Amino acid sequence: MAASLLSLVGLEVRRGMSIVLTDFNLEVDSKDVVVLHGKNGAGKSTVIESCARLLPLEKGSVHHHGSLVVDSEGRRSLAKQPFGLTLQSNGLLGDETVENHLSTVCSLSGMKTDLFPILDAYGLAHRRYDRIGQLSGGQARKVAVLAGLLPAMLSSEPRLILLDEPDTGLDESALAALISDIGQLREAGHAFVIASHHPEVMKCATRLHDLESETVQQQPKCQPWQALGIHENVSLLSTKTGHRYLRSTRAGMARNGLTALLVLGTLLAFIDPASLENQTLLVGFVLASPFAAGLAGDPVVHLMREQRAADWWRAHVNRLPAADFLAPVLGFVLTALGCVLFLDGINWKLSLIGSGVLWMTLLCVRFIELSTLRLARPNAVFIRLLLPILILPWALVVEYAATL
Amino acid sequence: MRRRIPEMFLGIGFVGIMTTLFLGLNWAPSVSINAFESPAAQRIFYWHVPSAWAAFIAFGVLFTGSALWFFKRSPFGWRLHVAGAEAGLACGLMTVWSGCVWGAAEWGTPWDWSDVRLNTFGLLTLLALFLVLGRQSQPDGVETRDTFSSFGLYGFVLVPLTYIATRVWQIRHPGPVIGAGDGGGSLQSSMALVLLIGALSFTLFIVGHMMISMRITHLEQRLEHAQKSLDGGN
Repeated sequence: MAASLLSLVGLEVRRGMSIVLTDFNLEVDSKDVVVLHGKNGAGKSTVIESCARLLPLEKGSVHHHGSLVVDSEGRRSLAKQPFGLTLQSNGLLGDETVENHLSTVCSLSGMKTDLFPILDAYGLAHRRYDRIGQLSGGQARKVAVLAGLLPAMLSSEPRLILLDEPDTGLDESALAALISDIGQLREAGHAFVIASHHPEVMKCATRLHDLESETVQQQPKCQPWQALGIHENVSLLSTKTGHRYLRSTRAGMARNGLTALLVLGTLLAFIDPASLENQTLLVGFVLASPFAAGLAGDPVVHLMREQRAADWWRAHVNRLPAADFLAPVLGFVLTALGCVLFLDGINWKLSLIGSGVLWMTLLCVRFIELSTLRLARPNAVFIRLLLPILILPWALVVEYAATL
Repeated sequence: MRRRIPEMFLGIGFVGIMTTLFLGLNWAPSVSINAFESPAAQRIFYWHVPSAWAAFIAFGVLFTGSALWFFKRSPFGWRLHVAGAEAGLACGLMTVWSGCVWGAAEWGTPWDWSDVRLNTFGLLTLLALFLVLGRQSQPDGVETRDTFSSFGLYGFVLVPLTYIATRVWQIRHPGPVIGAGDGGGSLQSSMALVLLIGALSFTLFIVGHMMISMRITHLEQRLEHAQKSLDGGN
């Protein structure tokens, strides 16, 4: 017998100081549409986010297609089969185009497709190349819902789809398209777990679950969905996505580049390099700008704090998109510029060291920033208080570089 | 009477600290003029060393509390974590401030970014500041407690590093005067006496502070629980 698409075993989950779920069990098989419909605060979103391995478990385990994805012992592994996820917050970046975001979702499933007919069904075809930030709230929600449905729409293999309040903000035609798609995808063998109070969504359930008891509903037969995806080999998706985010937003220049240039400008405003003979001091000035750029933090992590985009990514990949290309290139350029300003000419060795300084600093700051992502208000925490830990290693690098 | 123990510790500790200050500034002998650039400033040592000692006690409590919460989900552990962070911040700031004053007089600069002891101790104080401010910025919950406890656990690595710093990489900070491991000591008995009174007083003061801090955290938790009950939650 084939394993369930989703299996929750003895789940206990805390949110804040309250235990939201206790000894919760759920098995979801192919062709199941489970609609969770408890009162506010009952734990519907907690179930969805636990399934997507976004919440730590006090007890129990979550399995996708029979394989463990997260348990209370702290074990976490990627789901072996792609799954769809729509969070209550859209998880979208305002600077991404609709096309780019949905193509990335296809790539996460290892597939590609022509997105036009799918977008057309939801009235978004004309917005295909627009940035998500330019869309209305309802249109952005449609994109988030489509991102959740796509893994099933592309695949002929059964896929698990998790949708948290997908109906919020949808107009009537989009809601009708969603209900129709859920029915067709169910007939094709895919399974859904949906948190919703909407009567239309509840009507399309095969199992209505109020987190305590369950009611089974019969659904009429309909035409099954025809898979649209073509297999595609995808590698370095997180790195490529990070690079694309930076290209479309120029956040790397805005945050890190400008910080470094401000440091260079400030130093030059007070110091005449020609009057200084202390080599260590001069090298320190040169390496100050890549160091400052690194301290500004990973611009991609900063971007992904929008609408819980980081959480959406965290559910799907082990390594979040990052500024992998930006760090060494920007470090090299900034150090070379510093060499011209302070040392009368480009020093290649020093430029390479500067590249490494920016890269390592950015990695450390990124690690510290990601450590606080689980907090309720990660932006409010005083993370920069911990960054002076990087000053001593930087000073040692400066001393070494001065001897070259 | 038992309920008044923290206040008694605070009171006795405060009197002891004031006594230490008085003895350190007026009674303890001066150090050799040849050995120091600024011998008078050296008297701040009677404040600096006991406050550093108390800070290490507080960081130890912070580590114990973090471990108890992180591995055992113990509410008592979380109260220890909060108390340790607050006390560590208070003592750490006293130590850093007094060290900067002495450094400015003795070395001509209040801080040296290349000295390992200064940096690791400064970072411990910043970690305590991060934990105190960070906790106040977040709603109480397991996510908050788990995150800050893990920082408390990782941060404790700095404690042994700070301890061995002047033994392994002495750059600017003076080497150990107590427990140097050479059998003798460089302190006169009257100096050691003042230092002992200071260490005991700071210890009593910081223990009293942490006990009161734990009591306040416990009351905050009870208040929040009562508010949740009124809200109809669990």
